[in-house]
Amino acid sequence: MKLLTLPERLGLISYRNQAKSEIKPHIRVDTEICNTVCPHKCTTYVCPANCYTLDENNHVHFQVEDCIECGTCMYACDQGAVTWEFPDPETGRGVTWNFG
Amino acid sequence: MDEKFDCIIVGAGVAGLAAAMTLARNNIKFLLIEKGEFAGAKNVSGGVIWGQDLAKLVPEYWKDEEAGWDRFINHRRLTFIDEESAFSLDFKSRHFNEPPYSGVIVLRSKFDRWLANKVEDAIAESEYSMDSFIATNILVEEILMEGDKAVGIRTGDEKFYADSVIIAEGVNNLLTRQAGLQDKYVPADHILTGVKEIIRYERSVLEDRFQLNGLSGMSNEFVGYATRGVEGGGFLYTNRDTISIGLVLGLKDLRDKELKPYDILNDFKAHPVIKDTIRGGEVVEYSAHVVSSGDKRGIPEKLYKGGLLVCGEAANLLMNAGKAIQGMDYAMRSGILAAETIIEAKSKNDFSITQMKKYQGNLNNSYIMKDINNFQDAVQLLHNPVMYQKVPSLINHFGRNFFTIKNEPTKKAREMMGESVKAHSSYWELIKLGLKGARSL
Repeated sequence: MKLLTLPERLGLISYRNQAKSEIKPHIRVDTEICNTVCPHKCTTYVCPANCYTLDENNHVHFQVEDCIECGTCMYACDQGAVTWEFPDPETGRGVTWNFG
Repeated sequence: MDEKFDCIIVGAGVAGLAAAMTLARNNIKFLLIEKGEFAGAKNVSGGVIWGQDLAKLVPEYWKDEEAGWDRFINHRRLTFIDEESAFSLDFKSRHFNEPPYSGVIVLRSKFDRWLANKVEDAIAESEYSMDSFIATNILVEEILMEGDKAVGIRTGDEKFYADSVIIAEGVNNLLTRQAGLQDKYVPADHILTGVKEIIRYERSVLEDRFQLNGLSGMSNEFVGYATRGVEGGGFLYTNRDTISIGLVLGLKDLRDKELKPYDILNDFKAHPVIKDTIRGGEVVEYSAHVVSSGDKRGIPEKLYKGGLLVCGEAANLLMNAGKAIQGMDYAMRSGILAAETIIEAKSKNDFSITQMKKYQGNLNNSYIMKDINNFQDAVQLLHNPVMYQKVPSLINHFGRNFFTIKNEPTKKAREMMGESVKAHSSYWELIKLGLKGARSL
């Protein structure tokens, strides 16, 4: 069978509050820590939804829109850069699983 | 809802629903709060509910045609894989065909929602049919404390009060941490990341491919190259007209090896043996969630405070000791035990820490903590690189030689095994592993 790319996989997910232009992020990342002291920048590869990316200068960027609330980054980041909460049902993002 | 509840349960997953069901049947006034749109909306599992506790919560659930479970398990398979081969232990038995089943496969979005409806039915039949509630779409942000005792919860600007709070918030247990029962930062050491796809087939295709009969189902666990050398393993479960296929990956090892979980999942799906097994389906969901490893060091020392109990995966109650990945059955039983502690507390009107401590005692005396304590060696063995890397390679090396017929004089199996051992390990390494294994299982 055809293997799916990550964007194709994320395209199958039902995210909440998709119609809202402004959402309240449930994860805050102090990328200053990622880009100055972190020796591994591991969130850029361990995140199952690729919410953490590297630019051409090897700087970490974070976007919460694709987050599927798995929790991985909260444990993987051992530098104190990730502040993790659950999304607000009304104003946040996050998922509603169709199968789960 | 000005009135005080006997108990507020945070989280309508398996643990929270099991607690709620037990409270409803014993005429306790409770509020069950779920952050998702409905019970199960935020839950991901492999997932098999092992054992027979479900029949305690929903007697004769197998007679319910609209039941939320997918298939019962009568076929188990454990597969060792290397890059090109798969060597399986396969067991199927008529003994597993009759209810109460020894395990049911579930999809949480469907299962939890069904179980929540059963809890609603139990509420309707209780003395508090108008005063107990399941409330969805509400995020609990804080456990309210008075001194060292939990007295309620806060969501936004609203506060709800109760004599007791059961935390059943799942593995990402922010409230448990806030209550000081677990460190604020939990390192990756005893945490795995699970990634999974749901693949849909024509039901007849699925049933033929996996030799399913009626609602029978198969569970297949994988050890070895499934994870590209990362600590962990793979799984494949048959649902009604889909399969759940995925991996659990040791997060610390994933971080060290600098691999992406979704890439490893694609490699697993492209494995020559797996590829044939799953061909032709359509992926309908991709999901991910962290899961605890079952290492006891990950479990909070205390699961109670005055008026406060923690159950399910919020308490990191989960174990894979090689026979099965058990988590939802632990959630169910610990939810029941927590509720029973609250029922006793109400009858004595004593929600003190001394009363709450009984929950921990009951948990320690239950099969959950007995198994977790007894099988720690097995848990650690499964996380030993010899076990998840060398043993699968060795077994498949042997399998290839043993099952190859060459029209030449054939070596005895023992000699072949000797060659496989030399190629991938050493007798000494295996003796050490064998001794550990014999003790641990």
